[in-house]
Amino acid sequence: MQSAFLFPGQGSQFEGMLDYLPKDPIVSELLEESSNILNTTIERLHSKESLSTTTAVQQCLLIASVSTYRIFEKEGVIPNFLAGHSVGAFGAATAAGVLTFQDALRLVSLRGELMENSYNDGYGMGVVLGLDEDRLTEIVDSFFEDEHPVYVSNRNSPTQITLSGSKKGLEKVIEYVKTHGATNASLLNVSTPSHCPLFKDVSDRLLSELNKLDLGRPSIPISSNRNSRLLRNADDVKEDLAMSICYPVRWHDAVNLLYEKGARLFVEMPPGEVLTKLANHAYQDVRALSVSKIGIDDCLYVMSH
Amino acid sequence: MVLTNTEHLEKEMKSWTTRLDAKKERIASVRDLVDGVVIPTNRIVEALERLIKPGDRVVLEGNNQKQASFLSQSLVQVNPKKVHDLHMIMSSISRPEHLDIFEEGIARKLDFSYAGPQSLRIAQMIEDGKVELGDLHTYIELYGRLFIDLIPSVALVAADKADRHGNLYTGPNTEETPTLVEAAAFRDGIVIVQVNELVDELPRVDIPSSWIDFVVVADKPYELEPLFTRDPRHITDIQILQAMMVIRGIYEKHGVKSLNHGIGFNTAAIELLLPTYGESLGLKGKICTNWVLNPHPTLIPAIESGWVESVHCFGGELGMEQYVAARRDIFFTGKDGSLRSNRTLAQLAGQYAVDLFIGSTLQMDAYGNSSTVTKGRVAGYGGAPNMGHDPGGRRHSSEAWYNMMTSDDPLARGKKLVVQVAETFQEANKPVFVESLDAISVKDKANLAVAPVMIYGEDVTHVVTEEGIAYLYKTDSSAEKREMIASVAGVTPIGMEHNPKSTERLREKGLIALPEDLGIRRADAKRSLLAAKNIDELVQWSGGLYTPPSKFRSW
Repeated sequence: MQSAFLFPGQGSQFEGMLDYLPKDPIVSELLEESSNILNTTIERLHSKESLSTTTAVQQCLLIASVSTYRIFEKEGVIPNFLAGHSVGAFGAATAAGVLTFQDALRLVSLRGELMENSYNDGYGMGVVLGLDEDRLTEIVDSFFEDEHPVYVSNRNSPTQITLSGSKKGLEKVIEYVKTHGATNASLLNVSTPSHCPLFKDVSDRLLSELNKLDLGRPSIPISSNRNSRLLRNADDVKEDLAMSICYPVRWHDAVNLLYEKGARLFVEMPPGEVLTKLANHAYQDVRALSVSKIGIDDCLYVMSH
Repeated sequence: MVLTNTEHLEKEMKSWTTRLDAKKERIASVRDLVDGVVIPTNRIVEALERLIKPGDRVVLEGNNQKQASFLSQSLVQVNPKKVHDLHMIMSSISRPEHLDIFEEGIARKLDFSYAGPQSLRIAQMIEDGKVELGDLHTYIELYGRLFIDLIPSVALVAADKADRHGNLYTGPNTEETPTLVEAAAFRDGIVIVQVNELVDELPRVDIPSSWIDFVVVADKPYELEPLFTRDPRHITDIQILQAMMVIRGIYEKHGVKSLNHGIGFNTAAIELLLPTYGESLGLKGKICTNWVLNPHPTLIPAIESGWVESVHCFGGELGMEQYVAARRDIFFTGKDGSLRSNRTLAQLAGQYAVDLFIGSTLQMDAYGNSSTVTKGRVAGYGGAPNMGHDPGGRRHSSEAWYNMMTSDDPLARGKKLVVQVAETFQEANKPVFVESLDAISVKDKANLAVAPVMIYGEDVTHVVTEEGIAYLYKTDSSAEKREMIASVAGVTPIGMEHNPKSTERLREKGLIALPEDLGIRRADAKRSLLAAKNIDELVQWSGGLYTPPSKFRSW
């Protein structure tokens, strides 16, 4: 049976999350290394106050997922495929050896800062449940205005799709879809309009930073955010890491691709189980496990049997 | 006319056995690694590298049930420097390596019929230029082209058992193997068969050794999907209501005796209502006697209660082997007792010899054109369009076929019943009845010659929704067709067009029927009507002869 490791993105973080990682010297070492690089303590980094910033959230997600991945790696448990949602793609690229952990941590810090500083409080994201991509795109296009831009962004599942843009635009769409077919629609608690053309400049800046690095060839193929293709060389991974923030994450397709490639076991790196639930919901015959939920020992056991 | 001397000479010099000569050369090239007709398991990749030449047309057996999985896994390991630019012909693209061979540069061009399990990848690879698409086919079309303009140079197929001479036992899962082998074997192509085991004596010979060049024992048995097993636990009350309407408003009304059912829960519900609801209407022997369908476990109660006279199968179904062998009067079986299936012949029978085809659809336009495609996916057709159309070549009459005649023209003829069942909305509030099919955008995106319509409106005789039945065969007017569909399309955009007055008029004219017009009370449509409510009850009906695959055993 083929397997894939999934690396979660923003939304899975919680206060004190780095205290809940599997107990292993590898994890402690990586935490220490992180606090040295970032010149802060772990306590401060995953505090409630700190996690109100996109930068700290992205840093914590990278640390949590990569440190846990290192345990699997040490045990010789290597998946056939990787995929990471949004910032999770940096964790996947690190696991595949494209980026060093140090470079990845610096890149997600930069990414977070650029995202925070690009737009004011009048921008953000929303989520719509129960409408498909076509219908939602039609609606969003009809509400689009240059001064209040709004875009369809991440396709998390066929009927769980996010919106990004100005809060005014988002509110108008959300109000409309609530009475036009959506089973639920709401604003998300973020002030960054991610995964839409508003972040083109962030992409360009990330690309120029990535261009300075010596990237490794992925040792494990990665399913991409932007067009759900399997990435097998460093340049393609680089492009996806940079461009993902100004394009929708086609998560459902990215996982569907792995399913068609034969993956039937999915393991989600900490924190959380958002991607596990999406995978279990999308396919009857897959087994999706979350390290945070069932513990690393059980995941190691299932992976090696 | 007298030939001149030079013409004579040229005629004598031309060889008429180039294909045979080439075949002999290929066979000679593996002489040192084979034992008679047997290729050693661990040398299959090497053998394929010698037996297959760049640019060859290769038919690889993969259909929706049986897969030549050892051969496909071996083909993906050949050196692309030696074997490349293959033109693959496959009825079903089901396994990852079926497309991996394109990613690896071993194959380039593809003609196929169905690609449901790989429909995202195939759409991406067409878009990325990694697959050069020949065309999408129905099963019969693809089999037909194997004998015309897609004649294979190599056939890679699967069988259960072989003997030392290369005689094959394909048993219950004979499916399309004889057709694929015939196209290659009688055109001097190379036929390579993976078998689960070599034996001294076969239960019966399904394919004779003179059609076969090589056999190889697979590392593990070929992949087989229990695709037609439907757990009755998942049948809903709405599906039961639709099944009741179909039994009364179509099967009974037109006297449908011979038919095909697909894999949907809708048709499983019909099968499970025959011994209960059908019995209460006194329909046994009057409808549903002769079938072309796989050994559906959900047909067991109807067979056990004496409804069914005969069943011819496209393929087998895992777990049904013993049951089929023990019901020899019903199924086509060999001298050894086991089922004989044949996809080509069953598809032909389903096309020409049955009264009715019934299938579910995900999308239908106002004129009854229907499609099961999803945007961004290329899934192909399979066999539904073969059976889901009115074959113009049909000349024999049957009660139901004759019953479709609507004119008194002296040349008037009957029609195959083609029934489309749909609930007005799918998941995510997606209306089934739409102004324009997604198939059109798939055509543009994947650069297909024609939009992948599964069943054309001109062939559809009946549309069944939870609202009622539209008897489309009764009208030639497209405006009236649209009105009829709208009146059973619920609150979808198309359905919103209808007005209660026209619905009344259509009911009076018998163009549509609501459940109450058929004497059906919606409240009676309950799961308690099902002859079996779960897999365990199917096993009980079979007297323990049905042994479901473990994934269906939940008790």
